[in-house]
Amino acid sequence: MNTARSDSRVRIDGVSKHYDADGGVVRALENVSFDVTDGEFVCIVGPSGCGKTTLFRIIAGLDDATDGEVYLGGDRVDGPTPDMGVVFQEYHLFPWRTVRGNVAFGLEKGDVPKPDRQQRVEELVELVGLAGFEDSYPKALSGGMKQRVAIARALAADPALLLMDEPFGAVDAQTREMLQTELLEIWAATGKTVLFVTHDVEEAVKLADRIVVMGKEPGRVDEVVDVDLSRPRTRSDAAFGEYYERVLGLIRGE
Amino acid sequence: MATDIGNELEGATADEALPLAGIDGSRALLGSLGIVVFLGLWHVAALFQPAYVLPSPLAVGETFYTEAASGEMTTALGQSIQHWLPGAVVGTTLGVAVGIALAWSPLLDDLSAPVVRLLRPVPPLALIGFAIAWFGINNAGAAFIIAIGAFWINFYAAYGGVEGVSDDLLDVARSLGVEGDLELIKSVVIPAASPEIMTGIRTGLGRCWMLVVASEIFGVPGIGRQIFRAGQNLQVDGVIAYILVLSLMFLLVDTAFRAVQRRVLQWR
Repeated sequence: MNTARSDSRVRIDGVSKHYDADGGVVRALENVSFDVTDGEFVCIVGPSGCGKTTLFRIIAGLDDATDGEVYLGGDRVDGPTPDMGVVFQEYHLFPWRTVRGNVAFGLEKGDVPKPDRQQRVEELVELVGLAGFEDSYPKALSGGMKQRVAIARALAADPALLLMDEPFGAVDAQTREMLQTELLEIWAATGKTVLFVTHDVEEAVKLADRIVVMGKEPGRVDEVVDVDLSRPRTRSDAAFGEYYERVLGLIRGE
Repeated sequence: MATDIGNELEGATADEALPLAGIDGSRALLGSLGIVVFLGLWHVAALFQPAYVLPSPLAVGETFYTEAASGEMTTALGQSIQHWLPGAVVGTTLGVAVGIALAWSPLLDDLSAPVVRLLRPVPPLALIGFAIAWFGINNAGAAFIIAIGAFWINFYAAYGGVEGVSDDLLDVARSLGVEGDLELIKSVVIPAASPEIMTGIRTGLGRCWMLVVASEIFGVPGIGRQIFRAGQNLQVDGVIAYILVLSLMFLLVDTAFRAVQRRVLQWR
């Protein structure tokens, strides 16, 4: 499972999003710029209302920016693209499809021959630890399992970038911890570039190579923090605590 | 990595094994009792009325048997099916297709909204003039009436179903490489709206049986025609016997379709 694209750099270049509201113009995002290098794990954190999800949707090509551009591997993103595997907080599985059917969804449009497709689906189901549940419908799955399916589905077309919006925000704390560990394993195994939106500072420090800290009114990048910690990371670690306090301080505007 | 999955699934599948409601014995027993009471009351009431007002259930049963044995009932049923089936198929197909198209496309929706509102309240029977003028007094004319009835039910069901399709699922599909309206409709909209569409089809099929009677009012032979003729001759037993045929057909089709529906929607 190597990346089909050799170049998966992401460049967010001066992205702004304004919209009209009752009280005037809302500046949801103001001149947001940062880069993500090949194979890097970057988290975007910020308080609610800082425009994280707006930024996520613009990067995914699901919404248009008022100003600025997003580039993936040097190409401008001007709409949804299978080069990005997108994972949402609420899973959004296709309820009428089984686990296998959900994972296979993105492979059916292309010219992948059926046997290859099936093999790829088996691999992915295995990768996210759902072997044995291929024929289950989403209604029979727990939140954690649904999100595993969503991750496998996003990885199916071998995207250059895995783009995730608070993917573990809707599961209980124990499952979240497990999914975080699994995501790091998948990241290590696939070498994907990951851009991960969260409001959870601890999650960001646990996962990221770099943390993009956003502020609000207007939504903007306040600082980018390099997390120089070896993995696996534990929160009892003193250095972990320092990063945590530092990012939290930035968010609180200290 | 899949260590705790077993536990997770156990909790999640527990609610899958819901008992099938309504199949327990006491309900069936009460239902049978209800039928017996109904027939008993009918029988008693019939004792005090002449047969041309209210025949007894036994008399109706006798007539039903005679008509069935003579082959007249099967002939009439065959004739009715010849306009029920094409009417239901055409009306359902068009209703679902137009409903999906208008709910999906704001442009088509805006264009058609006034016309839809104007045509919607027209009862199918009011279109008998068109049926005669366009098709004649034949199966096609009767099928036309039935198709109109099926059309509106399916139109609104599909329209509502498609309106309710979540934008998030469409976003996911787009991000997975689905492009273009037709592809989105095929891969997301129709399956997501299928519960509403199936309910519409089922309701429509039932309505079509009711419309069979109306569609034969202008002289097309079939069950409806038999009911009118028996009524004109004051043979109320014949009227009821043929109504019974419609009820049985309704029941048969509805049960069969419910089985299909349950199968297609097993993911729910």
